Amino acid sequence: MLSSTLIVGLVLGGTYALLALGLTIQYGVARIMNLAYGELVIAGAFFTMLMVTQAGLNPLVALILALPLGYGFSWLLYTVVLHPLARRSKSQGQLEVDSILVTFGLLFLMQGLYQVNFGGNFQGYQWLQNPVNILGTKIAGGRVIGLVFAVLIGALLYLAMIKTRWGVNMRAVASRPQFAALVGIDMRKEARMAFATGGALAAAGGAILSMYQTFTAVDGTFLTMKALVIVIMGGVGNLIGALLSGIIIGLVEAGVSVAIDPGLTLAATYAIFLVVLLWRPRGLFST
Amino acid sequence: MFDARNISLRYGKHLAVDDVSISVGEGECVVILGANGAGKSSLLRGISRMAPIDPAGRITLRGADLGAVPAHRIVEEGIALVPEGRGVFTEMTVEDNLWLGSNPKRARADNETRRGEILALFPRLAERRKQRVGTMSGGEQQMVAIARALMSNPDLLFLDEPSLGLAPIVVKELFATLTRIKESGVSMLLVEQNVTSSLALADRGYVLEAGRITSEGTARELSSSSVVMEAFLGH
Ligand SMILES: Nc1ncnc2c1ncn2[C@@H]1O[C@H](COP(=O)(O)OP(=O)(O)OP(=O)(O)O)[C@@H](O)[C@H]1O
Ligand SMILES: [Mg+2]
Repeated sequence: MLSSTLIVGLVLGGTYALLALGLTIQYGVARIMNLAYGELVIAGAFFTMLMVTQAGLNPLVALILALPLGYGFSWLLYTVVLHPLARRSKSQGQLEVDSILVTFGLLFLMQGLYQVNFGGNFQGYQWLQNPVNILGTKIAGGRVIGLVFAVLIGALLYLAMIKTRWGVNMRAVASRPQFAALVGIDMRKEARMAFATGGALAAAGGAILSMYQTFTAVDGTFLTMKALVIVIMGGVGNLIGALLSGIIIGLVEAGVSVAIDPGLTLAATYAIFLVVLLWRPRGLFST
Repeated sequence: MFDARNISLRYGKHLAVDDVSISVGEGECVVILGANGAGKSSLLRGISRMAPIDPAGRITLRGADLGAVPAHRIVEEGIALVPEGRGVFTEMTVEDNLWLGSNPKRARADNETRRGEILALFPRLAERRKQRVGTMSGGEQQMVAIARALMSNPDLLFLDEPSLGLAPIVVKELFATLTRIKESGVSMLLVEQNVTSSLALADRGYVLEAGRITSEGTARELSSSSVVMEAFLGH
């Protein structure tokens, strides 16, 4: 039972890590606190469900399609709605307040649309339910594949952040936006690209989530909250911190749900969050 | 090669730079001397488009008008700024900072050769490529800032008080390096309060007082000028 908890925890944790990575890039580079982030995750999940049930596609194909769609949607959202906000705000603080208000509204809009179209029930599809045997533990094949893809996308993004000019520029803007122009970085372009990249990760995370669990039209709120907790635990803008914290939260949730009660997972997450806030407000991995 | 005419810059009602005109010739090193608050940094920010100037001002580089070029495109045009306070990315490594310096397209072609030359110029940085810049000494951070600016393959280098806060021995080393950079053909506009060292390096200079240019001349003229000596050395 311990090893099955561990694997379930890793699967959850891998997905959470991916989601937190997207949110931390959006917040760290574009300085947008996106409260509708979880709604884009759910959009990825609905999209995958429709592709599987209506178009008869493999969920993995849907995942590959979700990446550019999430990117494009967020790119447009930034260009049409958020960029004008960023331009008129005189300070970073003001941009944060404005973006929270706007994305809070967007959250309700998107949740409303989901509920009108899909109702409030649990949603999902059947895929690779047959268990595979890992280290003596039986676990649904869909979960394993979900984990593999979450890790793969997370690792690729991390490498890109460290090893490519694209990523180095992104990190530079996240750490010292006021110096970006000195090295020829166009802040506007960079912010839009970061916001869109975060959107791609959100949609991909939703596609992966749908591979192994059901979801509802309103689950986005919890996902945003969890991603936010993980980002703060990891230290805002700290990519490795987000990855590790995501895995920790996944493991804790799986552990609590097996050992105590599934209803307490969210409470456990917030308990950890509170401890981190009190004890290491700048994140578990701050130096 | 570089010409700035009738530059004025204000913070609210306060006129920090008042109708200043300066120029830098091909391969020339020009110094701007001035006391604290004279407007040196403001002038440098204005002519590198990092801060808005009054519309009467004209900035040209080799005849090309820079008036409408956004701040992030200036380095692509060939002007690299090492700002007051260095402007380095302290959370990132030396290597990352140098890489960022080579962002402009004009720097891409012989990036690797240039990097080799720059690391030869700053041997200390070559040893510390993986170190986070924030953990380095002030002098080393200043070297990172200058090395990063050079990575952009600039025609003209703007330096805002590079010797600020450095020990005399480090200042000496810094000016020796700046001399070598000048000899390599890069034009320079230097803001300094270290009168002796900067006049030894520079060909020409301006004296800025309360936002206006009060005297200008060759380095030799300024060195022997009683105005400069009185203003800065209290003689
Ligand atoms: N952001 C700002 N807002 C308001 N006033 C400013 C600002 N920056 C500079 N000033 C004012 O403009 C004047 C010129 O400042 P500036 O920094 O250009 O001087 P400086 O010659 O570089 O001085 P220092 O040698 O101390 O660096 C000063 O009176 C300063 O108080
Ligand atoms: Mg200054």
